[in-house]
Amino acid sequence: MSGNSLVLPIVLWGRRAPTHCISSLLVMDDFATIITGCHDGQICIWDMTPELEISPRALLFGHTASITCLSKASMGSDKQYLVSASESGEMCLWDVSDGRCIEFTKLACAHTGIQFYQFTIGTQREGRLLCHGHYPEILVMDATSLEVLYSLVSKISPDWISSMSIIRSHRTQEDTVVAVSVTGILKVWIITADVSRMQDVDPVFEEESKPIYCQSCQSISFCTFTQLSLLVVCAKYWRVFDAGDYSLLCSVPSENDQAWTGGDFIAADKVIIWTEDGCSYIYKLPPSCLPASEHFRSDVGKTKESSIPPLVYSIADCADKQLLICPPVTRFFYGRREPFHKLLVQGDSAGRLSLWSIPETSPLQPLSSAAELQVSSTISLQEAFDKLAPRPAGIIDQLSVLPGSEEPIKVTASVYIPAQGRLVCGREDGSIILVPATQTAIVQLLQGEHMLRRGWPPHRTLRGHRNKVTCLLYPHQVSARYDQRSLVSGGVDFSVIVWDIFTGEMKHIFCVHGGEITQLLVPPENCSTRVSHCVCSVASDHSVGLLSLRERKCIMLASRHLFPIQVIKWRPCDDYLVVGCSDGSVYVWQMDTGALDRCVMGITAVEILNACDELAPAAVDALNHPAVNLKQAMTRRSLAALKNMAQHKLQTLATNLLAADNADKGNLPKYSHNALVVQAMKTNVTDSDMHVLFFDVEAVIIQLLTEEAQRPNPTLVSPETLQKAPGGADKGGSLLASKIFKQVKETIKENIKEHLLDEDEEEEEEMRRREEKSKSLSLLEYNLTMDTAKLFMSCLHAWGLNGSLDEVCLSRLGMLKPHTPISFGLISRGGHMSLMLPTFKESLLRRLALAEPEEAGGRKLSVSEIVGKGTYGVSRAVTTQHLLSVISLANTLMGMTNATFVGEHMKKAPTRPPRPGTPETLRKSGPPPPTSSPALQAQIKQGWSQLAAMHCVMLPDLLGLEKFRPPLLEMLARRWQDRCLEVREAAQALLLAELRRIGQSGRKDTIDMWAPYLPQYVDTVSSHPPLPSPTDTLRPPQVPPHPSQPSPAPPFDPPAWTLFHFLSFLPLHPSLSSPVVLGQSG
Amino acid sequence: MTAASQAERTVLEDEFNWLLKEEVHAVLKQLQDILKEASRRFSMLTPGLEGQLKQENFILGSSTMDQVKGVLTLQGEALTQADINIKVAKSSQVLHFAFRDDKQWKLQQIQDARNHVNQALHLLNSRDESYHFKTGAEVNKLMDAVMLQLTRARNRLTTPATMTLPELATSGLMKMFSPAMPGDVMVNFYINLSKLCLVVYQLHVLQPNTTKNFKPAGSSVLHNPGAMFEINNAKFEVSHVHKVECVVPWLNDTLVFFTISLQLCQQLKDKISVFSSFWNYRPF
Repeated sequence: MSGNSLVLPIVLWGRRAPTHCISSLLVMDDFATIITGCHDGQICIWDMTPELEISPRALLFGHTASITCLSKASMGSDKQYLVSASESGEMCLWDVSDGRCIEFTKLACAHTGIQFYQFTIGTQREGRLLCHGHYPEILVMDATSLEVLYSLVSKISPDWISSMSIIRSHRTQEDTVVAVSVTGILKVWIITADVSRMQDVDPVFEEESKPIYCQSCQSISFCTFTQLSLLVVCAKYWRVFDAGDYSLLCSVPSENDQAWTGGDFIAADKVIIWTEDGCSYIYKLPPSCLPASEHFRSDVGKTKESSIPPLVYSIADCADKQLLICPPVTRFFYGRREPFHKLLVQGDSAGRLSLWSIPETSPLQPLSSAAELQVSSTISLQEAFDKLAPRPAGIIDQLSVLPGSEEPIKVTASVYIPAQGRLVCGREDGSIILVPATQTAIVQLLQGEHMLRRGWPPHRTLRGHRNKVTCLLYPHQVSARYDQRSLVSGGVDFSVIVWDIFTGEMKHIFCVHGGEITQLLVPPENCSTRVSHCVCSVASDHSVGLLSLRERKCIMLASRHLFPIQVIKWRPCDDYLVVGCSDGSVYVWQMDTGALDRCVMGITAVEILNACDELAPAAVDALNHPAVNLKQAMTRRSLAALKNMAQHKLQTLATNLLAADNADKGNLPKYSHNALVVQAMKTNVTDSDMHVLFFDVEAVIIQLLTEEAQRPNPTLVSPETLQKAPGGADKGGSLLASKIFKQVKETIKENIKEHLLDEDEEEEEEMRRREEKSKSLSLLEYNLTMDTAKLFMSCLHAWGLNGSLDEVCLSRLGMLKPHTPISFGLISRGGHMSLMLPTFKESLLRRLALAEPEEAGGRKLSVSEIVGKGTYGVSRAVTTQHLLSVISLANTLMGMTNATFVGEHMKKAPTRPPRPGTPETLRKSGPPPPTSSPALQAQIKQGWSQLAAMHCVMLPDLLGLEKFRPPLLEMLARRWQDRCLEVREAAQALLLAELRRIGQSGRKDTIDMWAPYLPQYVDTVSSHPPLPSPTDTLRPPQVPPHPSQPSPAPPFDPPAWTLFHFLSFLPLHPSLSSPVVLGQSG
Repeated sequence: MTAASQAERTVLEDEFNWLLKEEVHAVLKQLQDILKEASRRFSMLTPGLEGQLKQENFILGSSTMDQVKGVLTLQGEALTQADINIKVAKSSQVLHFAFRDDKQWKLQQIQDARNHVNQALHLLNSRDESYHFKTGAEVNKLMDAVMLQLTRARNRLTTPATMTLPELATSGLMKMFSPAMPGDVMVNFYINLSKLCLVVYQLHVLQPNTTKNFKPAGSSVLHNPGAMFEINNAKFEVSHVHKVECVVPWLNDTLVFFTISLQLCQQLKDKISVFSSFWNYRPF
């Protein structure tokens, strides 16, 4: 999925819903899902019941600019795909069920409209996307690969297409594309089977081109009821045309200066037209427009402006218009299946969706006064958030609610320091909070004794800014050349403050800018010494400053840019700072002298920016758009994770080496705790931060194993664990690595020893002193690895399915139950991400309630029922990821000594005297379990083993098939050879369990589905005697089975190969007749 | 910057209301006037002839070299006539090409710029004097949308599309001339800032089994001599590049209009942001 690593996000949304200023919307064919795109580039998936109740389910991240259009991209109801396009030319194909990005591409031009079109040649069905936008053609793309196949071109006065409609003909194989250009010329293209089949050939020219004098055309729609007329809506009038010869049937001007923005047919004789300010009107068409009437076409060639036809209904905008900051989006959708809804859907800038169900019949009252149609259902994202109890948690809500106030203080900027496991949050009131990240996340997500403590977890507050903190930077994290004590913050009070995070002291205040600080950056590595001790600050007065942390003064201020700064780039070798502004101009500043070297625009500007990229791709920083930052952060984060992985491997090996012959383990280097990364995100600059916790399963496992190997008392370590730990680490690396490792073993050992022992004594001395000094002020130290594992396992466990196991988990293993359903996320290709909204359970619960009405109607669903189970019913990809994580972690913990989350060993540092106000009894709620007792050890191990077993094999039975989304075989097959041994074992166990569960018929279906994608010679293997030959029942899969490969899989695709190979030998596999062996198979 | 006093707040609020009520509309009016003027430049009519776009002739040449000379006729967004004279260096032979009578070449850059301006105007027209802006965010949103269109319009003129040489060789432009363009000459037209540019590439064929390192050139606005490409299994190298240009006065005007309007928009946004920093707790 996301490269190789298994990373699970958990979101803490906070009470304020993200800004969602709706720019486009779509109702899926099954009328169970509504999709909205917003101006900030996110896409929201809403669930809709047949009773038209709606609740938001997930938010999709990936686009960096406003969403311009949405379209379905598949025909079937079994797999629903969605395509989205943004203002910057990005296109993305998503799976609607779980929000995975399946394919993405970027074109130079922006689309303003996309329509899905399926054509059939014989039995073969293929999906096409017809796109139009800021270019004169209609581009035809493949709906799965997003490749441009050919284009529909105009010969006569080509111009941008403002809207388009596809007329499907049932009589012939020819379909017609009708479009109106911005200059008001109607264009007609015929798509024949020949045209659809061709690829890479000459463009298709229009069949007909007719000026219809429709300036600023907003929409064109074809009457699907009569198939004989077309509706064209322009800003100031709407017109009906004959669909045969495109002659004008009637033209209706707008009243009271309203601007129409679209319309559609709702019946053979009625149209609905909507305005820019969100009102809609249903008109009865005059007889001259009705093919059924004898007056049809009676007015052709006569009238220019008809009178206004009778108004049947008027639909006023229900929302409070005070808050709207841009015109709402309105669309009409007509259900072609049960329950045949005719829905008018409107989305506005406050993130509100409103639905009107259009009745079939006209109101009985006289038509002179049009009846007002009442809204059927309406909800905004914020309302959905407000309805929840408890309210969606923010990362430090418990520390931010002031006495006497309901709402917590907003977090406006955050930075996570992985080396210390600390989260730094800047808030609206100007204070900055330092808090242990896992502890605060546990408070927000899980139930436990911590709920009784006020001001928990221990934190520190830095006060200095007079108003909102807008950005935070911990320079040491970016480059080791900075002092690890310095933290830099910028605020709306125009100041930049440097803090010492160990003492909490304010070191310096820079007041050099004339506007709010919008961004803080770190210059690249190879700058001059003077510059390399600076941080770069960007302010809203369009100025850039280089603030030297060492000299405590501003060494350069580049101001007077006319437009907001969009990007900062560096040319360290030339001593240049390159500033890109939002209007496309580029300013080149000399860093040493502060002189403006040049200011350019156009091609030169683009070239200068590109030249900087070539030199230092890492120094790129787009500032303006939060989504850009997010995407970059995502990609960088995974890169960093990979890098860290490499380091971990070395460290693991080194630790083991040293552990073997070095008794003094107190000196061992500490690891950075990158098993957890906390990333703050906002969808809009005005929003408060929401926080995403990224758990890297592999890193958690490696850290756990490393800590196990480091355990100070060797008598406690059982021999099998000792064997396992280094073994696991070695096998975790590649085969080649182990060979190399052996060779360099000695060298590394020496190096590490040297590094540890030959440290400059004075410095060491100073460090010690500093540590002693800072200790009094530092926060409580925790065993971060175990804390992370505790948080993660508690979130993943399917609570409420097995009472006795839950009890064991709580008391023996020290896990905690969540307060509310946990909002997980799913990372897919290219840093695209889907995050569940806190309301995602609503629709699941509703589905449950529908499945068992008598049960749900009788009693309210218990908390554990709402809280547990859930994530395994969301989607197959989510189930796969979660099961893999929970099983591999449980197996790891099973192999560890004292692997429980209760007891004194969770606290690393000696316990400090209890904080005032904290009752002593709470601190020690029970006697610490005697860690050395072998019986207890066995119980703990058994607990983990039960946990793993339940998730591996019992889940489908316990949950019931209708609530369980089984794991995806191909995703498991991909992990068959995962580099991390624990993940590999978990994948193998799960794959076996799943294959057994689906039974013979299921396995056969799988083979049938995959067979066409495999190399030919496999057939000899697959026709192995015990197998039913797949070839005689070969049928083409409707959609490519593995979403990561939308185009037919290459012949030697490894997962397909593994899976198929595995399937073909399956019936002979011995373990299928015996229970799956769990745990340590090594 | 301590918290503003109550009196100060009242004054600020009044000032902000004035900004929303008066100043915003004044700026919008000014913007509309400028953009109408810009939009008009794209469809100048011939005086006397009804509905006929004005035709203008441009002589493209350079004072230092006279190998290439072009006379182009621009009518709105289309080049309706073109006469190109190329002096081949070694043979001192002069090649002459002209557009076929039935063909004209549309300059997509101009059409795009025109459409973007019209879209910006459309956005502004929807918010006339009678419209009452209620929040600063509303104004910002409108300005963002307008600025996006204006930036696009300007960028279309300031940054011509980059093309690879095979793309150029297969484009419809090569088939527009009479006599037909020989295989070793390619031409391209584009707009750079306010200048109409003509680029003539002279090519020579590389031997199929040439010892020279063949490295196809990427996309560029203007390729340099030595750039290589392959098309239909034949390899070519650019031997000479001639670029001639001529300023189109009305394009220069539009660029100035775009720049002024963009600055007006940004100044309005900056004014609003000044107020928003005083009331952090109110959504402006």
